[in-house]
Amino acid sequence: MTAAKIIANEIKGYHRFVQFLIVLVAVGALASLARFVFGLGVTTNLNDTFPWGLWISFDVVTAVPLAAGAFTLGAIVHCFHIKKLEPLVRPAIVTGFLGYSLVSVGLLLDLGQPQRCWHTMVYWNPHSPMFEVSMCIMAYTTVLFLEFLSPVCEKFGYHVPLRLLRTIEMPLVVAAASISTLHQSSLGTFFLIAVDKLHSLWYNPLLPLLFWISAMCAGISIIIVEATMSHKYMGQPDEGELLETLAKILPWVITVYLTVKFFSLFALTQGPLFNRPGLLVLFIVEVAVGMILPLVMLMSRKVREDNRLRATAAWLVIAGIILNRFNVSMFGMEAPGTFYYPSFIESLVTIGIIAAHILFFVLIAKYFPIFEHHPETVDYSIPDHFHKTEKGHAHGAAKA
Amino acid sequence: MSSENQDFNKTKAFLIDMTKCTGCRGCQVACKQWNQLGAEKTEFFTGEGYQNPPLMSEYTFTRIKFRDYEKNGQNEFAFYKEMCMHCNEPACASVCPVGAFKKTKEGPVTYDAERCIGCRFCMVACPFGVPKYEWSKALPLVRKCTGCYSRVKEGLKPACATTCVSAITYGNREDMIKEANKRIAARPEKYLKKLYGSEEAGGTSVIYLTALPFDELGFKPVTKRPLPSYTWQALRLVPGIFLTVGGSLSLLSWFNHRKERIAKEEEQRKSGATPKEES
Repeated sequence: MTAAKIIANEIKGYHRFVQFLIVLVAVGALASLARFVFGLGVTTNLNDTFPWGLWISFDVVTAVPLAAGAFTLGAIVHCFHIKKLEPLVRPAIVTGFLGYSLVSVGLLLDLGQPQRCWHTMVYWNPHSPMFEVSMCIMAYTTVLFLEFLSPVCEKFGYHVPLRLLRTIEMPLVVAAASISTLHQSSLGTFFLIAVDKLHSLWYNPLLPLLFWISAMCAGISIIIVEATMSHKYMGQPDEGELLETLAKILPWVITVYLTVKFFSLFALTQGPLFNRPGLLVLFIVEVAVGMILPLVMLMSRKVREDNRLRATAAWLVIAGIILNRFNVSMFGMEAPGTFYYPSFIESLVTIGIIAAHILFFVLIAKYFPIFEHHPETVDYSIPDHFHKTEKGHAHGAAKA
Repeated sequence: MSSENQDFNKTKAFLIDMTKCTGCRGCQVACKQWNQLGAEKTEFFTGEGYQNPPLMSEYTFTRIKFRDYEKNGQNEFAFYKEMCMHCNEPACASVCPVGAFKKTKEGPVTYDAERCIGCRFCMVACPFGVPKYEWSKALPLVRKCTGCYSRVKEGLKPACATTCVSAITYGNREDMIKEANKRIAARPEKYLKKLYGSEEAGGTSVIYLTALPFDELGFKPVTKRPLPSYTWQALRLVPGIFLTVGGSLSLLSWFNHRKERIAKEEEQRKSGATPKEES
């Protein structure tokens, strides 16, 4: 059999949903090809009044906090040393790595001169939040790639690189958390320059801090949702008990977020808050449904212990953060009487990117040991001889 | 961001006296000629009143806006020349990740098309909505008024200022502000007692004099503080935050892991066994 035939046969064996995802990704790829052939002006609804649209609002500003699970959990597990959460780390790292790779794809699509993306590394302008974010995204994607190499090396039994990876594991976790802090917050800094454009319901000098804290809420919620779904649909082990611990941490982070949000709203905001009824409704939905409701839900033990209710609360948080990012980067930036909506091709590309994320996650989970990594098989000390990762004694891969 | 220690009084500035503008649009034509800009198909009444083209664009760096108003029961026109304001501390230069925008020592804010990666952050950041994009192209660049830097650096006046018979004066910023105040003092009944551009966005190289209130002419209200300072107050903390977060997390994990290592060694000493193999 030729390689193409093997692949075709393999794909035939996939679940229908996975095949559907492959179609969506292919359509998205075609749509992005159209963007490069015909140009941004023809294929998108962007214009001089709305230079940033769906691709910046969703593929970049929203996707980055949604990929925050890796750094949040890495810090919780390895730095605060809550070891029992370890089994959740690898799926989170894979999600993070995929998320950031796709953010880079989204950014490249949106650039007018994507072939010049290396310019950010040559012509530095440290006064630009965009410079800061692009440097961080490049650095962090590299870190996530290195972290992702562990299951890959385990799969193929590469002992020497695996040992090297384990040696630099802790520095990587610390680097991940510090780099993420910088760029998650700098996404908020983007909009500090839009003094006279962004509505005062969202504009305040603490925007970067709010972006950072809400990214942690998003990260934790994504892990809860993802573990619940991979248990339900992919037959992976039930991590309910571990998720309960996360569900205990989450309300605290939300409380800090809401405190800072209301403090900045009432103490630091200049300008009218109630002059745009539409925006006010969006703000209330974002805060009440996306933050306060899940906070109240998660405070009850019954919700935290119930897989379904816990996942529902996490979904609400995620929805709240998505709405927040859209409010800041799209709705709140629109001048009264104007309206932007994404074109057909813009939407196809974004749907393709979301589908690609789910698809690659499912495929990686299928071929690499990311769920079988359980603490009882892991020795946290640095390995002192190479044979430790041999079959049967492997770190994490042992349970195959 | 070369502008921090610059003396903006010595940079060149436009003084645009809109009470003297007749709406001939010679400046629009001169700009197109000097910058070799393509023509645009125009139609009357696509924007407000008789103005043409309806908006600034990749082909139009400056234009005259027409505003109808009533004075003593008669219909009158007010004119407003729209162009890049060439801010003293430009937001576009501050947010551009590759530093494609530069405030020159002569005054104009220039754009280096060779560097631009097309992220359009300048368009989001500019409080006056000046940078425009080549939406017609597959690999587009940003377009905006150059302040005729190629002329100014050789000692000439910008094309629009050269062609204008009365409304545009060009010279040192300090002198332009003095001249504007002199005109207000000489004809207080004619002018509004405010200069647009003297303080807006931290001061610009285009100063406007009008008879009508600025908001009626469609001028955007803009903060008095230089825009780059808004993002810089957060961005300047970046190295500190990086070191603090990185340092404290390293310490925290070192401490937590050490605790575990000591506990493990203790256990081994108690059992008196050799270090146990992982199973």
